[in-house]
Amino acid sequence: MTDNKMIICRCEEVTYGELVETAEKFGCTPRELKLRTRAGMGYCGGRTCRSAVDSIALAATERDISEITLKYQPPIRPVSFGKLGDVTK
Amino acid sequence: MGKVIIIGAGPAGLSAAITIAEKGLDVLVIDEYMVGGGRLLGQLYEEPNGNWWNGIKESKSLVERAKNAGVEIQLHTPVSNIERIDDEWVIYTESEVHYTSHLLLATGAAETPLPIPGWTLPGVMSVGAAQVMTNVQRVKPGNRGVIVGVNVLSSAIAMELKIANIDVACITLPKMNIPTEKSADPMEVMNSLLHVSHMAPSAFVKLGSKLMTNDFMKRMGITFFPKNGVKMWDIPIMLRKAVVEIYGDGKVEGVKIATISPSGEVVAGTEENISADFVCIAGGLYPLAELAAVAGCPFYHIEELGGYVPLHNEQMQTPVEGLYVAGNITGIEGAKVAISQGVTAGLAIANDVLGGGLESNIQQAIADIETTRDNAYIQFHPEVKEGKRKLQQYWEEHQNKSVAITL
Ligand SMILES: Cc1cc2nc3c(=O)[nH]c(=O)nc-3n(C[C@H](O)[C@H](O)[C@H](O)COP(=O)(O)OP(=O)(O)OC[C@H]3O[C@@H](n4cnc5c(N)ncnc54)[C@H](O)[C@@H]3O)c2cc1C
Repeated sequence: MTDNKMIICRCEEVTYGELVETAEKFGCTPRELKLRTRAGMGYCGGRTCRSAVDSIALAATERDISEITLKYQPPIRPVSFGKLGDVTK
Repeated sequence: MGKVIIIGAGPAGLSAAITIAEKGLDVLVIDEYMVGGGRLLGQLYEEPNGNWWNGIKESKSLVERAKNAGVEIQLHTPVSNIERIDDEWVIYTESEVHYTSHLLLATGAAETPLPIPGWTLPGVMSVGAAQVMTNVQRVKPGNRGVIVGVNVLSSAIAMELKIANIDVACITLPKMNIPTEKSADPMEVMNSLLHVSHMAPSAFVKLGSKLMTNDFMKRMGITFFPKNGVKMWDIPIMLRKAVVEIYGDGKVEGVKIATISPSGEVVAGTEENISADFVCIAGGLYPLAELAAVAGCPFYHIEELGGYVPLHNEQMQTPVEGLYVAGNITGIEGAKVAISQGVTAGLAIANDVLGGGLESNIQQAIADIETTRDNAYIQFHPEVKEGKRKLQQYWEEHQNKSVAITL
């Protein structure tokens, strides 16, 4: 198996080759690379591929040291739909 | 008066909870795992003075002390979001919503994976997963493993697997690609190993660290590093070989390794297979700061601390009102440092709730963190102090900026 065919984002099945090619073609920031390929946008919320997606994008772009490169969005853990809409004080 | 809430029942969160409860305040600790202790649970090693650091025992005693002090611990409870509404923190879990004026995040660290071809096969796991299976759940991850990634954590865990009678065929580097770059560079890895050589009962590594104090010697060391590795606890550590592929039909059956040049390129034609039924990936640790991020805390990327860390001062207080941090969320270090940070955060919180009086205790606690750090057996980054200095500087810049804005 070559590196290019290797899956990086398991949820969205995005390969290393696809990520590297996209990053090179568009000079992507990590966020842009995520939006273009959907890597890190699956149900695990990027828990496994986050650092790989980050490093592939950062091979060509500068890191912003004062901002997390791939933003965290709530809920940061899986929550059932019923519970999500059911919050009262 | 409401209760103080702590997210994370690791050494940092538990020691903060004990400190706060001992000042007579109510404390609730929330953790998603089924046992208290956090990553401390998996730790097992012999310290230079001959004492064994047994994480399960240490965890039990922290949990016990917390309970005796009146701390409420809620396990099996992931926190999915936090937000500040009016003058309170709102903490969302699957079944309940909690409110507090003082919130401590002690969520610890996460592992960085190293993608190598075949890493999605069943039987491939992070080295931390192998540690938890072996030491906490007491289940063998397999009969014969290969560890990919040579660092403090993987060598410590290799020894733990060995103690559990699990065969580790070798610890070796990953094949170089963009995400694995640093872990795959023999020279870089050699550098980071030299500062942990006191952990290695191997004449070579010990001798090596004395000899290899200059770059020339290091390069020589890598160039002539034995291809079949140097043994540590009888496990070959191979800095001149890399796993180019993990293979198997539906599950791990082995790895293909190849010789690499001193700068990490694969030497064609040197591939060979090593059979194994599990593979551990060890790419290092980074602070798990998700909750601080959704809370809107400012962050800085500090290599020496392992990645993005929430901005905070010496008292473990963030610029966000009522939000504190302690433990590995503030930078990757050993459990004893996490404990001292927890005590400091606990005192800072208690001081704020009680309206002062603990200032000298806080100063003492801050000094204790320093001492613990200086005496730490495990150090994940040799320049951690430099990282802390950078953070302090960012904090001061941030304070000056906020003052300028209010003026
Ligand atoms: C796999 C691994 C192995 C390690 N091995 C060693 C070792 O051998 N020696 C050593 O000195 N250090 C080791 N460390 C470093 C370790 O992080 C520190 O020693 C110490 O455990 C840090 O303490 P802590 O309290 O900051 O975090 P942790 O001990 O990690 O505790 C954090 C707790 O927060 C909980 N948590 C996180 N997010 C949430 C959430 N959203 N909701 C609810 N609960 C949450 C977790 O379940 C966990 O129990 C290891 C770290 C890791 C990740």
